Amino acid sequence: MRTRVVFVITLVMALALLTGCGGSAFECEDEWGCAEIKSGQTVKVAYIGPTTGDYSSFGIDMSRGAELAVAYHPDVKGFPVELVIEDTQGSPEQGAAVANKLAADPRVVAIDGHTFSGSTEVAIPIYEDAKIVMMSPSATTPELTDLGSPVFNRVAFTDRQQGDAAAAYIYENLGIRKIALMHDGGAYGQGLAEMTGEFFEALGGTVVGKEAITPGETDYSAPLAAIAASEPELIYFGGYDADSAVLASQMGGAGLENAIFFGCDGTYGSQFLDLAGEAAEGAYSTFVPIPESGAFTKFREDYKSKYGDEQGELSPFSPHAHDALAVLLNALDQVAIESGDNLYIPRKALADAVRNTKDFEALTGTITCSDTGECAAASILFMIAQDGKWVPGPGQ
Amino acid sequence: MDRSEAQSRPKRYIDFGRWIRLGIGVIVVGFLLFRLWNVLWIERAYGLDTWTRFAVSGIILGSVYAVVALGYTLVYGILFMINFAHGDVMMLGAFAGYFTLEALKSIGFLNRSVGTSVLSVIIAFSVGMLFSMLIAVLLERIAYRPLRTAPRLVPLISAIGSSLFLQNMAQLAFGAERHTYANPDMIQRNSGWMVMIQGKEVLITYTGVLTLVISFLLMVGLFLLVQKTKMGKAMRAVAQDKETAALMGIDVDQVISNTFAISGLLAGAAGVMWGLHMGILYHYVGFIPGMKAFTAAVLGGIGNIPGAMLGGLTLGILEAVGPAILGIPFQLKDVLAFSILVLVLIFRPTGILGEVLSKERA
Repeated sequence: MRTRVVFVITLVMALALLTGCGGSAFECEDEWGCAEIKSGQTVKVAYIGPTTGDYSSFGIDMSRGAELAVAYHPDVKGFPVELVIEDTQGSPEQGAAVANKLAADPRVVAIDGHTFSGSTEVAIPIYEDAKIVMMSPSATTPELTDLGSPVFNRVAFTDRQQGDAAAAYIYENLGIRKIALMHDGGAYGQGLAEMTGEFFEALGGTVVGKEAITPGETDYSAPLAAIAASEPELIYFGGYDADSAVLASQMGGAGLENAIFFGCDGTYGSQFLDLAGEAAEGAYSTFVPIPESGAFTKFREDYKSKYGDEQGELSPFSPHAHDALAVLLNALDQVAIESGDNLYIPRKALADAVRNTKDFEALTGTITCSDTGECAAASILFMIAQDGKWVPGPGQ
Repeated sequence: MDRSEAQSRPKRYIDFGRWIRLGIGVIVVGFLLFRLWNVLWIERAYGLDTWTRFAVSGIILGSVYAVVALGYTLVYGILFMINFAHGDVMMLGAFAGYFTLEALKSIGFLNRSVGTSVLSVIIAFSVGMLFSMLIAVLLERIAYRPLRTAPRLVPLISAIGSSLFLQNMAQLAFGAERHTYANPDMIQRNSGWMVMIQGKEVLITYTGVLTLVISFLLMVGLFLLVQKTKMGKAMRAVAQDKETAALMGIDVDQVISNTFAISGLLAGAAGVMWGLHMGILYHYVGFIPGMKAFTAAVLGGIGNIPGAMLGGLTLGILEAVGPAILGIPFQLKDVLAFSILVLVLIFRPTGILGEVLSKERA
């Protein structure tokens, strides 16, 4: 009995010592707890995407967008912001590994990512457990916000919006009635292709063929021949640029020389044009145009002077990566509490502040988040490859 | 082996394994025939032109698999070791050919005239083959020779390590991005002869025909080399019994080195053919074809040269035609290929044509 009393007293004293350390006690009233940043420490935010591997042009470009966002907003109430860049190689497995690593770091407060839908899908529950707020620049699978996660938000426009617009453009502007769908079997590609097909059929068109391919291969002549048998006027492909390029360049040999290749926002970029060469001519892709503004001009100049490349050469998404982080940093400014020498970041308040973002001026437009976490400001433009360049397609 | 085991067993045990195998066989064959009938006469999803396209695509792919499979089979025949880095040797050969063609293009030699175009392709093949040969010989010297007397699992692990090393080395050296092969104008991809089948044009590409012809020449050449020359005789002797061959005055190390050199030459040629026909190249391009070629070698009977050719062609055609017959997405063609491998291993563990060398030895 006596030992138990002694134990309880010791415990109470120990707790008092822990919380009362330094004299000025800070009591965190947030439901999800607070991140404590001690004097001299940094506030950690992370960009997560494929910085190596097949899709590295996306990851490298977007991490630069995130770096510029930090350069424009270098501190939260005097505490320097530190950008952590983690590599997923575009795979869900690696995405989960990176998410677990960051969730274990108590100073990580916000995530600019993940980049691809598959990797984001596995990461959401991990960050939800760790109470870390996310803003994805480019995960577009509609179901991600249907999960109802309080930590997940995105500035990307969804595949549902893209599929709807693409179906309407193909049906009305290009006057095409028979299409075939192809995809790479990934969360993004398959979802987008199927949704486009549904919208296209709703408009009155016919989907004459469907085929899934294995991404990363260099010979798609057999699946293309299978598609050619149904004689589509156009092939809609959901997937990424390297596979798009192989498909576009092998269509001619498979009996589809008169069909149009219609890619998505994963197709857009210089790699498709470089790899497909002449076969790229006349192919379509989707692009999210950025309205001209002083801030965007400055962003492009800074990008060029810091990295040597033109903004938009590697991928179109660096402004989105910038905006996602800018929204997060803005919310951090609103909720961070200084107490003594330390900075405290209430995690629930931060997630709420991100979700309540309203009329935030960013590069892709004016960002307002819906109560499900959809924060996209951008509109969609369909591009056609002409003379080795992407130019806006006819009738827009 | 199987029979002697069965005989030594007491009679009262029923051989369940055989009945299960028979059952699986009947079900699989029955299902395939049903699907074939269904696709050809009931669904009629594809016309003859489409089947021709599938077959052409499969034969070309299969002939590349066959050439790569020859390299696996040669090395296995002599060392009883599976050289998992062989696919990556092919990838390096493809890169050597790529840089050669780029260099010839930049000095304006590639398309100057028909003669220079032909010469460029020959140069690209030579450089690719010699480079792959060099890599294969070095690989043997560095990664396999010191392990010659080690247990059989050790060189296998060394081979897997070499494969990863070569892939990552290529990624570091050439970047992770994809490269497009610069074909001479006269054999551009997507150009070729048009064949009319049921009123529809089917394209037979120049690069595809080139691939077929070169594969065929390489197979015949290799067969003659192994069967008719002194070097081939030495290789066959080493394959049968290393110690006795050494006692007869054959330099075993030299013969093994030669074998790797030949497998490297074949891999290099396969790599350049792959590049010219498929057009897109990156550091990972050798791994899956390497696995497929290994499958092909096992399918035909590993250690057996005609078996590797047959296995390669079978696998290529199965991959192109199989998903269409089964009515499954083409994404599942790898599942199909490896299922075939499992089935063959259940019914004929020594492959379609059997393991000729081991039979001779027995």
